[in-house]
Amino acid sequence: MSQSNPSQIRLTEEGVQAELQRQPHLLMKLAENAFTVAESLRNNYFKNTAQFISALRKAINSYATGKRPDPILGVYDTPKVDWSSVQDEVVTFIDGGVGKVQLSSQVPILLRVGSYCVRTGERRLSEREQFGYYPVILGDLEGGNKERKDFIDIVRISAELLGGLSALERTPDLRLLMFHGPLVYMMSAYAGHTPFTEKDIDLFLKQYAPGTNTAHRLKEEFLEDAKLYIYPPMTPRSDEWIQKKLFEPLAWISWLYRRLIETAKQRTPKPIIAGVVERGELRAFSETILLARVFQGLRKNNQENYFNQMYGRTDLKSPKSLLDRLNYTDALLMAMLLQPGQYSESWEIAKYDGLREGRVTLPNEPDVSVVNFAPLKPENNKTGFPRVNGCYLSVSETTEPIRVETFAELGDDQIHEAVNRAHMYSRLLPGYGFPVGLDIADKFAKVPAWMTQSYGKLIRHHLGVSLQRGEISDAEMRRILVQAIYMTHRDWLFRPQS
Amino acid sequence: MPSANNQNRKFVGTIVGESTSREFRLALDHEAVREQDIIAVDATLRPTDGTASPKQIRVWAKVQRIERLNPLFPVEAGHELAATQTDPFDTVLSLSREMVTAVCQILGAEPLDGGAGGKLDHLRYPPQPASSAYRPESSDIARVVLGELEHKKDRALDIAHLSNRREVDVKVDGHAIVTRHLAILAMTGAGKSVTARRIIEELANKNYPIVIFDPHGDYTGLSEVPGLGNRVRRYYAKFPIFEEDAETVAEIINSLGYELTPTMRHRFDEVFRAAKMFLTDDKTENQTRIGWLAQRLNKPEIGTVFPVERDMWLIAYLAEAGEIVKDQADAAGEQSLTTWGWSGLANYTGTDKRTLEGIKKRAYATAAALRRMEDTNKKIAAIGATPLPTDRKELVQYGGISIVSLAGYTGDFQATIYSIITNDLYDARVRDELKLPVLLLLEEAHNFAPAKADTPAEQRAVAATRQIAQEGRKFSVGLILISQRPSRLDETALAMCNSHIIMRMVNPADQNFIRKVIESLGEDEARMLPDLDVGEAILSGQLINFPVLVKIKQPTSQGEREEKDAFVALEEARKLYGVGRANNPNTRRS
Ligand SMILES: Nc1ncnc2c1ncn2[C@@H]1O[C@H](COP(=O)(O)OP(=O)(O)O)[C@@H](O)[C@H]1O
Ligand SMILES: [Mg+2]
Repeated sequence: MSQSNPSQIRLTEEGVQAELQRQPHLLMKLAENAFTVAESLRNNYFKNTAQFISALRKAINSYATGKRPDPILGVYDTPKVDWSSVQDEVVTFIDGGVGKVQLSSQVPILLRVGSYCVRTGERRLSEREQFGYYPVILGDLEGGNKERKDFIDIVRISAELLGGLSALERTPDLRLLMFHGPLVYMMSAYAGHTPFTEKDIDLFLKQYAPGTNTAHRLKEEFLEDAKLYIYPPMTPRSDEWIQKKLFEPLAWISWLYRRLIETAKQRTPKPIIAGVVERGELRAFSETILLARVFQGLRKNNQENYFNQMYGRTDLKSPKSLLDRLNYTDALLMAMLLQPGQYSESWEIAKYDGLREGRVTLPNEPDVSVVNFAPLKPENNKTGFPRVNGCYLSVSETTEPIRVETFAELGDDQIHEAVNRAHMYSRLLPGYGFPVGLDIADKFAKVPAWMTQSYGKLIRHHLGVSLQRGEISDAEMRRILVQAIYMTHRDWLFRPQS
Repeated sequence: MPSANNQNRKFVGTIVGESTSREFRLALDHEAVREQDIIAVDATLRPTDGTASPKQIRVWAKVQRIERLNPLFPVEAGHELAATQTDPFDTVLSLSREMVTAVCQILGAEPLDGGAGGKLDHLRYPPQPASSAYRPESSDIARVVLGELEHKKDRALDIAHLSNRREVDVKVDGHAIVTRHLAILAMTGAGKSVTARRIIEELANKNYPIVIFDPHGDYTGLSEVPGLGNRVRRYYAKFPIFEEDAETVAEIINSLGYELTPTMRHRFDEVFRAAKMFLTDDKTENQTRIGWLAQRLNKPEIGTVFPVERDMWLIAYLAEAGEIVKDQADAAGEQSLTTWGWSGLANYTGTDKRTLEGIKKRAYATAAALRRMEDTNKKIAAIGATPLPTDRKELVQYGGISIVSLAGYTGDFQATIYSIITNDLYDARVRDELKLPVLLLLEEAHNFAPAKADTPAEQRAVAATRQIAQEGRKFSVGLILISQRPSRLDETALAMCNSHIIMRMVNPADQNFIRKVIESLGEDEARMLPDLDVGEAILSGQLINFPVLVKIKQPTSQGEREEKDAFVALEEARKLYGVGRANNPNTRRS
């Protein structure tokens, strides 16, 4: 009766089709794709996808049962959810949120990084949970190119990292530090921003350190490293940068990563540091691991035209072309290959392609100088960005797989430990399929709509009054904005715990 | 004076969101207040004329509703925990952050220095967001609860203390109660009678004349209260047949199940009149007549063992006498009866004789039923009770409490006795023959002022109650209506009650009805009704400055029907009467 065995049915095309029917989020995504791919691929897109997935599942199964020599995709099961296995663990969740005010258009005015620290099994509420937040008012910063859309991102990344670092330093027994989003972003996109000034960094650090001393030391240590190792390969004007106390954003961020990792390394056991990504758009895993192996296998068997025949085309010759034409992403393929509770093998995510020479404007300087970002790549020196491993985790049938990332340098076991916990935390939000602690930090960091709305009102009101009196000045306007924004302190979430 | 000492003032929360001059929201310190607590917020207001300097005021408010929310605890997670039987503390869920908000109703404002002596003005400008609210001193709360009564201490009745702050006495306006009518509404066992007794004791201290209609003997205990006993009189009610017209009495016979046929009904008027006129003011004459009756009916006990009175027995005797006279063609007897008031007897035919026989049987049966009711009534009215005085004005005495026991009578009789007395007293006040004001207390008021008056007796009762509810104030006749089924109460009568004491009530029909009829009762208060404890009450209307949740103080007196543990009572009875355990002789020992 092998026909009726569910694990066998999974492997058939009909089985895949039936399964997809039950997963509206996948069907929607496939339907969307069917419209966007080339016309010749549209017919039978769904059927062909099912056929392809069925073939993949069979191949994975053959390898797992020893019938196939080469792996296609390593799949692991998370351990059964068992909270007793993680009792008395201290976990900190970090997330940043942006508050936008509707003036003539949506203007981001402040950024808040929230942290939520909890000790599992602790019954005393005051001992159990700590909340922290780090607001940064964007207008106060001198560095960064404010006209760039990603200005807010470099601010957020810096602030989140400082939040994480601060959590790590404040909590000697921290077991897990979990960030909302990629552990490290695709950094080359953020190259070229005007360096932050010391004043900017002070604004960041104001929220960060337990004592001003620590903050001061952090700043000084960066400048020292920058002087000796970081800036010289990046710019011929290194000494001038140091003298002006400039904090080139990417250099600063990469240094903060290093700092985070160095701090973690000194502890036993090493705290797990992870980022969890929802709705990822990445294709790297499919391209460089999964499909690379598929094509290799096809070539081995002289079947390199397998996909062209299946789809009736001639251009589906490489993983990249297949993904391009068919619009598959990691999340989509993994959703169809992983079962709830399963996760994929991990791979090193290429985060730093494209770090090369770029143009940078210094603060209060009209000229543009050329800066080389390539030295920030991990392979170049000990001050570069860290290598990152990632894998996909399926939480439930109705949600997209999430991606979990850890630092390669902190050990291979980190990814398994992180996945296990991400899975447990996500099981508490099965409809969302995302770690509940990050959801808490997210809500905490979020600048609530009523608040930004009332800022909007308040700001407009004051501007209106001042305009009528004809006494509006830049300084006045800033004063009003800052005043309005600092009213965040009224938010109940931020009241100190009694 | 409000205490200048601010140390004991306890911070309870901060005003958040949008406030109006009627309501504001308070971000609360944990467990700082309970629903129905009275709190205050200080404010500064510029007088509208713009002349004087800004005034410091204290805004008084009552916590209507408390909302508690953990926005960081997703519902979904709750379901997951339940499904997997996981303790939330073992997980990474956040349990510490709760948002507690109180919705507060503004009661009014007074100068911060308390210069207005508890009188609260309407607030015409909302309190400032971000102001701090605090728990005022007990003495200050007592002052505003008392309101203007502060200056009219002689009016104040000490009946309760605040439910949430026992140390604060709540005194109510006795004047409002005795002149503007009071309704005490609650389900059975909630404490209505206890409350009423407390009020009566307080009013008695002020010598206010009270007449209580007591269908269950709830008020018998009043006479045992030291210092009150000699002022309490208990009356058992004899049903005053001849104060009613023939039609009513015929109805009474019908209502007891001894239906008069139309022919009997026709003759009944004449029998009734004959009976009514049979006894005169002349004692010797009466003796002659009674002698004749005993001899003619061949019942020597008449006039000897059983005194002849103006009651249902007399109607029965006369019907029988008429029947005998006709049967035996006793012309002399017929002549006597005619002279004594039975006009038309001479014209009666043989058929009429049988009709009289029917009337006789029914009248005897009715008389016996009435006697049973009267006996019960007398018994419950307790030793020392006297018959109702024919002059009802005697019920109203300075410092006197008259309890009219109605126990034992069925509904219609109670209603009739009640309307007769009430109408008499009211008329006496209107005609100024009764010099003192009076307060009438109606237990089971839905029987005396029913929403749906089915029988003529009920219709008369509701008319009497309505009249006092509507006009009583002019003639200083006040009402206290007590009922466990408010929705069965006459809406007009209830609507005329300007004060209300509302206690635990779970029946939704009753709650809705109360919400509809009693304007001073807020929605949140109405929602609390099912959750009130025994003895807890919401006071609202003219008896109080603003609605408050209180606990009624225990009266000194005990009710007749204080509930005993059923099993304790059983054991007491066994001991008292020496009863053994049931022993079935057919059961073999095993
Ligand atoms: N204010 C009170 N304080 C303490 N106990 C009370 C109070 N009011 C009522 N009770 C208790 O509840 C019982 C029922 O009260 P009662 O007034 O007879 O109820 P109701 O008249 O509403 O049916 C009383 O016997 C008494 O034990
Ligand atoms: Mg009662």
